[in-house]
Amino acid sequence: MSVEPTTAAAMPTPDRPPAVEFRSVTKVYGAGTNRAATAIESVTFSIPDLPDHGEFSAFLGPSGCGKSTVLRLVAGLEPQHPPTSGEVLVLGKPVVGPGADRGMVFQDYTSFDNRTVLDNVVFGLECRGVPRKAREAEGRDWIERVGLDPVRDARKYPHELSGGMRQRVAIARTLVLRPRIILMDEPFGALDPATRLDMQDLLVKLWREVQATVLFVTHSVEEAVYLGDRVFVMATTPGRIAEDIPVPAPTRPARETQQEQWFHDTVNTIHERIERIEAEAQRRNGK
Amino acid sequence: MVEPNRDDVPPAAMPPNAGTPAGSAVAPPSLRGEVGVLESLFWGATCLAAVAAVWFFVTAGESESRLVSPATLPSPLETARELPRVIGERRLVANTLVTLERVCLGFGLAAAVGVPLGVLAACFPAVRAFLAPLAVFGRNIPVAALIPLTFILFGIGEFQKIMFLFIASVAFILSDTTSAVLDVPQRYVDTALTLGASRRQIILKVLSPLAAPAIFNSLRLLFGLAFGYVMLAELVKLGGDAGGLGDLIMASQRRNQREPILIVLIVIPLVAYGIDRLLWWLQCDLFPYRYGGRGFLPRALHAAWNWAGWQWIRRPFSAVGASAVEAKA
Repeated sequence: MSVEPTTAAAMPTPDRPPAVEFRSVTKVYGAGTNRAATAIESVTFSIPDLPDHGEFSAFLGPSGCGKSTVLRLVAGLEPQHPPTSGEVLVLGKPVVGPGADRGMVFQDYTSFDNRTVLDNVVFGLECRGVPRKAREAEGRDWIERVGLDPVRDARKYPHELSGGMRQRVAIARTLVLRPRIILMDEPFGALDPATRLDMQDLLVKLWREVQATVLFVTHSVEEAVYLGDRVFVMATTPGRIAEDIPVPAPTRPARETQQEQWFHDTVNTIHERIERIEAEAQRRNGK
Repeated sequence: MVEPNRDDVPPAAMPPNAGTPAGSAVAPPSLRGEVGVLESLFWGATCLAAVAAVWFFVTAGESESRLVSPATLPSPLETARELPRVIGERRLVANTLVTLERVCLGFGLAAAVGVPLGVLAACFPAVRAFLAPLAVFGRNIPVAALIPLTFILFGIGEFQKIMFLFIASVAFILSDTTSAVLDVPQRYVDTALTLGASRRQIILKVLSPLAAPAIFNSLRLLFGLAFGYVMLAELVKLGGDAGGLGDLIMASQRRNQREPILIVLIVIPLVAYGIDRLLWWLQCDLFPYRYGGRGFLPRALHAAWNWAGWQWIRRPFSAVGASAVEAKA
């Protein structure tokens, strides 16, 4: 499984519409009032739908650059959806609202407190009306795949779990529905560094299994470079995509990869570019 | 009017007391700190002893030499001697149960109407705006002023008392439920949406259960309020011996007996406090993730819910989804 991301990104299969496509999308809050705020402006990009792979795109940038806006537009969540202008297409069709085909993992813990781990994981299946026995078997399978105990942990309530375990539940809850597109909004942002590396490895493993297209928002350059096939560097005022940098896909565990020289070089290069972009933006806004 | 305090911090959720340092005997008590069980019992007992001592003091001696004449205030011993008669002849327990039955019926009816309406009002802005005038009127009408109207509308029987309690509490239940549902963070709704939940499923499976602890908490506090209102309904009556603790007080006043009044006045807060503690225990047990209880009841309910024989109850709730899956399969 050694797909070269640069060539893959350059050659989208012609008969398959892109997994996610933004056509000069602009989102202005309070448009027409004197408090209008532009979240993103003419954002255009296209993430190909690669068979048997699924591309992993990392969105990197400072707060306020509209990373989350991009993700929530793909998810179809209000108030970001609908865009003020432009088109958001998923698998060639315009996004009309949220749906289980685009799973989302949030930074804030969103486990349903009143449900056990198992009942949290099978929530989506329950909403689909899958019979209890079938959905619980599937739920236990996924609890195990995210590294939790399918018997002991399944019975627990979210308040009995650590932050890392809660995010494992959130990932299982999303993946059990087999979404084509997985949106992750800084899912590991609240975790301590060691847990974060474990979760990155887990994510890489699961991503290979489910072969979904992943859009991953982070403000950690290391995380973006390690996980991504491609890093979109975003800039502020207005929120836009400044650079689109292909990076090697993860082949080895996070801790090993992050020791390597090329990894440090890539991270440093991206850091420098971000600084340059920010300096430019400041100069332009200063005028 | 006591506004229910929704941020009523449960004792179980408080951080454990960080061991008192050895030198704390001389240190002044920390502001807003916690007090130990024994210490709090000591101070409570001291307060009761002080009140009892004042009562003893002003009613000590023969009737002529007392500071307060026995016609105004009987002594503690005289009151205690009346207790068997109040329990036996005046049927204290039965009257307490009559009062409880009324408040349960009236308040239960108000909760049965107010909670679902509150959930709907929170979920649908049009419903909220529609009910807003009723909620504003209901919350701002002085309940005592409602009594004459309830006599005209509902007669002088049992129905009047229940309807009075209903009218007095339904608006509060409605607004508290509405704010409890509105207080559920939007991220839970967003999560449910990305997991494919329909609007109805979000109301039934996400918003209602997540708002339930706050709703239960406000019902517990409002129940205390309703227990006060039922006394009002029993004190103000048109003829007949309707029974209930309020009626017991009124009858004693007519017969010029002070002791039963004092006994009932002691019983009422004890009963109210007992109910409040019972409801608090129930609340902790029902919502262990919020109040740190043991969660016996939810586990039992969960097991019962999942028991195959109960499938028919929830079939109506998942009928649409199930047929969709069958169609897909």
